[in-house]
Amino acid sequence: MTAHRLPLTEILTGLGLLAAPFVLPPLGFAPNTVNQILVWGLFGIGFDILFGYTGLLSFGQSAFFGTGGFVAAYILTNDIVSSVPLALLIGMVAATIVGVLVGMIALRRTGIYFAMITVAIAEMFFFVENSPLSHWTGGENGIPGVPTPRFEIGQWSLSIGTGWPMYWFLAVIYFLGIVIALRIVRSPVGAVLVAIRDNPVRAAAVGHAVGLYKLTAFVIASAYAGLAGGLLGVLQGFMPPDAFTFDTSGQLVMQTAIGGTGTLFGPLVGATVWLFLRDFLQSALNLGSAWKLVLGLIFVLLICFLRRGLIGGLKDLWTLSRHRQVLEEPPEEAPPPAATDAAPLPAHHGLEAPSSGPILTARGLTKRYGGLLANSDIDFTVNSGALHGIIGPNGAGKTTFFRMLTCEVPPTSGTITFAGRDITGMSMTNVCQLGLTKSYQVNQLFSRLTVRENLRIAALADLRGKFRLDLFRNPARIPGLTEQVDRTLALVGLTRRADTPVSALAYGEKRRLEIGLALATSPGLLLLDEPLAGMSPRERVETVQLLKSIRQGRTMIVIDHDMDALFELAERITVLQEGRVLAEGTPAEIKNNAQVREAYLGGVVEA
Amino acid sequence: MTARTKGTALKSRRNFLRQAAIAGIGLTAGSRVSSVWAKDEPPIGTWPAGSQGNSVFIGITVPRTGTYAVQGEDELKGYQLAVEHINAGHPLIKAISTKTTKGVLGKEVKFGVADSEAKPNVAVQAQSRFITENKAVLITGSTSSAVAVALNKLAQREHVLYAAGISGSNDTTGKDCVRYGVRQCFYGQTAAAAIGPITVKTFGQNKKAAYLTPDYTYGHTVTKSMQDYLKTAGWTTATNQVAPLGAPDYSSFLLNIANSGADVLLNVNWGHDAVLSTQQAKQFGIFDKMKLVVPYQTPFLAREVGGDLMAGVYAATDFWWTLQDKYPLAKMFVEEFEKKYGYKPEWGANNGYMEFALWADAVERAGTFYPPSVIKVYEDGHKIQSTVGEVYFRKEDHQLVRPVIIVRGKKAADMKNKEDFYDVVEVVPGEPLMQKPDAFGCKLGDYT
Amino acid sequence: MNWSNLVAQMFNGLVLGALLALISSGLTIIYGTLGVLNLAHGAMFMIGGYAGYLAFEATGSYPIAVVAGAALVMVLGILIERVIVRHFYGRPAEDQILVTFGLGIVFVELVRLGFGSLSRSVPPPSWAQGVTSLGFTVYPTYRLVVVGIVAVALLILYLVLYRTRLGMIVRAGIEDSVMVDSLGINVYRVFMVVFGIGAMAAGFAGIVNAPVASLTPDVGESIMIETFVVVVIGGVGSFPGAILGGLIAGQILSLTSIVDPGYSYVMLFAAMTIVLLVRPRGLLGSRSRD
Repeated sequence: MTAHRLPLTEILTGLGLLAAPFVLPPLGFAPNTVNQILVWGLFGIGFDILFGYTGLLSFGQSAFFGTGGFVAAYILTNDIVSSVPLALLIGMVAATIVGVLVGMIALRRTGIYFAMITVAIAEMFFFVENSPLSHWTGGENGIPGVPTPRFEIGQWSLSIGTGWPMYWFLAVIYFLGIVIALRIVRSPVGAVLVAIRDNPVRAAAVGHAVGLYKLTAFVIASAYAGLAGGLLGVLQGFMPPDAFTFDTSGQLVMQTAIGGTGTLFGPLVGATVWLFLRDFLQSALNLGSAWKLVLGLIFVLLICFLRRGLIGGLKDLWTLSRHRQVLEEPPEEAPPPAATDAAPLPAHHGLEAPSSGPILTARGLTKRYGGLLANSDIDFTVNSGALHGIIGPNGAGKTTFFRMLTCEVPPTSGTITFAGRDITGMSMTNVCQLGLTKSYQVNQLFSRLTVRENLRIAALADLRGKFRLDLFRNPARIPGLTEQVDRTLALVGLTRRADTPVSALAYGEKRRLEIGLALATSPGLLLLDEPLAGMSPRERVETVQLLKSIRQGRTMIVIDHDMDALFELAERITVLQEGRVLAEGTPAEIKNNAQVREAYLGGVVEA
Repeated sequence: MTARTKGTALKSRRNFLRQAAIAGIGLTAGSRVSSVWAKDEPPIGTWPAGSQGNSVFIGITVPRTGTYAVQGEDELKGYQLAVEHINAGHPLIKAISTKTTKGVLGKEVKFGVADSEAKPNVAVQAQSRFITENKAVLITGSTSSAVAVALNKLAQREHVLYAAGISGSNDTTGKDCVRYGVRQCFYGQTAAAAIGPITVKTFGQNKKAAYLTPDYTYGHTVTKSMQDYLKTAGWTTATNQVAPLGAPDYSSFLLNIANSGADVLLNVNWGHDAVLSTQQAKQFGIFDKMKLVVPYQTPFLAREVGGDLMAGVYAATDFWWTLQDKYPLAKMFVEEFEKKYGYKPEWGANNGYMEFALWADAVERAGTFYPPSVIKVYEDGHKIQSTVGEVYFRKEDHQLVRPVIIVRGKKAADMKNKEDFYDVVEVVPGEPLMQKPDAFGCKLGDYT
Repeated sequence: MNWSNLVAQMFNGLVLGALLALISSGLTIIYGTLGVLNLAHGAMFMIGGYAGYLAFEATGSYPIAVVAGAALVMVLGILIERVIVRHFYGRPAEDQILVTFGLGIVFVELVRLGFGSLSRSVPPPSWAQGVTSLGFTVYPTYRLVVVGIVAVALLILYLVLYRTRLGMIVRAGIEDSVMVDSLGINVYRVFMVVFGIGAMAAGFAGIVNAPVASLTPDVGESIMIETFVVVVIGGVGSFPGAILGGLIAGQILSLTSIVDPGYSYVMLFAAMTIVLLVRPRGLLGSRSRD
């Protein structure tokens, strides 16, 4: 976490690249094979950012690989540009532009749909390259005669030949590619991408413009693909049309999965394994056409048993051996009740939130699901600085009401005003950026990250806004980030668990982190959906303490079934029943409201 | 490792030093082989490293998976038989390459095979490996012009000889020709020029033709060549259906053809595309209305389409096994091949065999593996006996001047054995079929 | 413009579309129910063809070949589900895609190992050979039979999905998988059956199509990509969507060939892009699965 950390990965990569020409040949790697590996590796860096980091599996990367390659090859062979690096750059830009356009279409859907769309779009590119554009692309024959790079520095001239000289050219570019990619994945943008992979809904809920970040990842992947495609042409001396085929995308996906996703180096490792085995199975084992069968089997087995690929497997082994020591420490005691030692976390959203009077007003909110009326004509007002409770039996429409207030779902009719602003129909992300967010009834955490990383995601949305392309920024240098995260950690009592992965947390800890995620966006208005649900009595006491401590300086609305707790905490309480407001008033008023008692509370309150 | 480093691209000593500086220590032994080369045969490509031992290496890339795998495996069998014969000093090889004793210049021939998947990129990568790792003195293999053109360019860049495998495009020895590449087989231009007159003779003047063209360079050039020729006999094009490579179904194309009113269908498709489109044309009853002509026959076509489908169909091809009645070398080849593989060879295998035989001849006559010398022998116009009679390479574009074989499909009832699919109608002499050497824009490039 | 050719092409589009619809409905019900995109679907199509070919070689009977092809692929589908896919329900969708993609390659190469690359043909049954005159064009009799067979198969699939308890569960699962879980139904058995049926749809199409297009190990790949387009156009997870998408794709492939056959496939993908821009969920897609 220190700013002066040695760039160990970069140094090791550099050393590895320097050593490769001496280490690999005795193992049976020809220079051209090594060069191919570098091209695949570079191609895969972008793909890994897209798939491994952002969780978007594209089977259509060939479109950008081919575009970059053919643009670079075309302008080089037609003497439009004579400098190879410049042509590579132009090819990369072309692929990037194509990436923006394709991304805007393909990213309309996620998951499986996204994968299918990318396949189809890439196939379209193949047919377009092969037929309508064959006059320029050479169709099936590709573009022959792509020159090798030549540099003129004053009177010195240096032309890069094939084989090892080409290796150095590629290695330099690969090195730059990996250094840039490492900066990107360590940047705030990189952190958000990982958050999107883990939980896109929550990433949007804490205030990140998920769509734009996905497009960013997609475009980065396109740029790397375009550059790699251009390099393929330069390396081979011609631009092969098979760059555009489905097989190219498929091979990239397989290599990345073999090597390990989310590592940046996975594609390089995967390409090494793939190309080595392809040669080895055919030449040393004489398998003939069965080589592909063997590689296919290896791939299936890897996916089944080593889900994070070779690098992931090694990492797991490493952490397993280290984890054993960690386990020997006594299991951590539940932390002391929070807040006593933690400074309050200010709600510093820049709205001119009124210091008194209504901060949130809902008028006539109605939500209809098909024939089902979930909420009907709800009027609701919360004053600034208040802690407002909502109770009601199961199915009273409490959660739907919250989902409308945070703009997770649009109301069928009615308006919502927050801090004097009509937010009806806004996106959840924008509303969060205005300072309104909620913690969920069912935990919505970034489950593959640590506690600290989780909170950092939320805090980043607060400090950086919903979208910012600070691709090369060191998050440690964002003013206030560390403080905000540390303070939230302290508030929710997870300081000692800061570096524990979420999956290893106890239930109560997860609930506190759930609240912490909402808190770390420093909301002016915080909605808590059943914060006490499923907690042990002791945990409830702690959490009530926590809620008390965080209400300083902010407005809160809390849904819960724990009446005692709510009556203790809240100044005002709204009772929902069958999607309507049954009653509203101070806890005392609610307790004494005949309707409420009759319809809902029964004799419980007296107890 | 250092011996593997190539310095071919080094333009000057100064560049050499600059590069060495970049390359670290990798290049120091560039002069280690200096004692070997003679003054007039400086190191080039894999010379002399590739021929210093007791054996020489040939890199073979053919598709063994994917659409062209059938043709790839067939071609490979021809290569393997040829290597066997060369190393054993078999009489058939000796009849073609008259100076051969055993091996090539006394060296045993070894080879490596890599699956090109019919992809140029994979083929180039595999051949690059054979060149650097195995010091291949010859690279070969292709079942499509895309791979042939790509390997042409690789050969020229690496200064290693390339004998094209199956490649029907005019470009291979036309605009994409290279000094280091040679082609044995027939191609679009000669196929069209050979089958054109027979088509006109059979079906008459002023007919309407429908074309089924695969959408890539080979397809377009063959169709163009046919159209140009048939126009001279007053033929018109009723429709030209351009189908993508590997189309799973041809019905919509065939309907257009069926409804085009054409008299003759020229199916230019290749590989499995040819098989499938021909079978489906039959399904659509197209052959009730029009006759089929195959300008560029695919190995195993008749076998794969099955039935009586090819009966009466004219096709241009490179070799058919019944040529054994005409040429003693063909007879020897067919017998040898059948003995080893258990069936009659198709033209892909013959092509593979002949490529190696012609290469062995060139090297033997050059007396050296030094590529420029071997190329000059290829270019000397020397007449060589082949399985289709006397042939020679054309100096200007490295295309073998060889006859094109016109065959006509037999009815099932007339077949003497299960592989007796065709009658050889005519062996059309090659020279008059060929375009002027510069007509397709061939510029061979440098020897060194 | 040749009107009879236009009508002929529209008819042909219907034939092409019917087959695509059948294959796509297999893909889509698997996805809709299990949430798994089966990238080995093309391989199922191919294996159905080869299984039928083997059965035909052994018996010489077309009906036996069709039944054997479909049954074998169903069994294979169930095996795949039990042995491999089952372990992926708890894993990210991407892992499922990857593993089925790998399986697809393994199947293709296994068949290549066993049968070689030389294409294999299954002749149409003797009563369906030759051509039939439809007035506007002559058309291969067997292809007419294929439309009939496919229509019947789709009808059966429809009945299974809309008139049986299994179908009710499947459709409920497409709407809301959580609900099905809470009904106390053994979802895993349903999943297994659905995977089998989905694979069988592809395998059945594969053997029915074998007399139309001779078999090679690679026959499934291009079909699968067309299937994706169909499913995306129609709406992923939607059975009616798969049929509509198939028919539309058939018309596009057929009709564009009148104008310029070189652009048929480009047009197919362009149509998909337009649908995505206008209706991202596909023409008949529901919002439940995403």
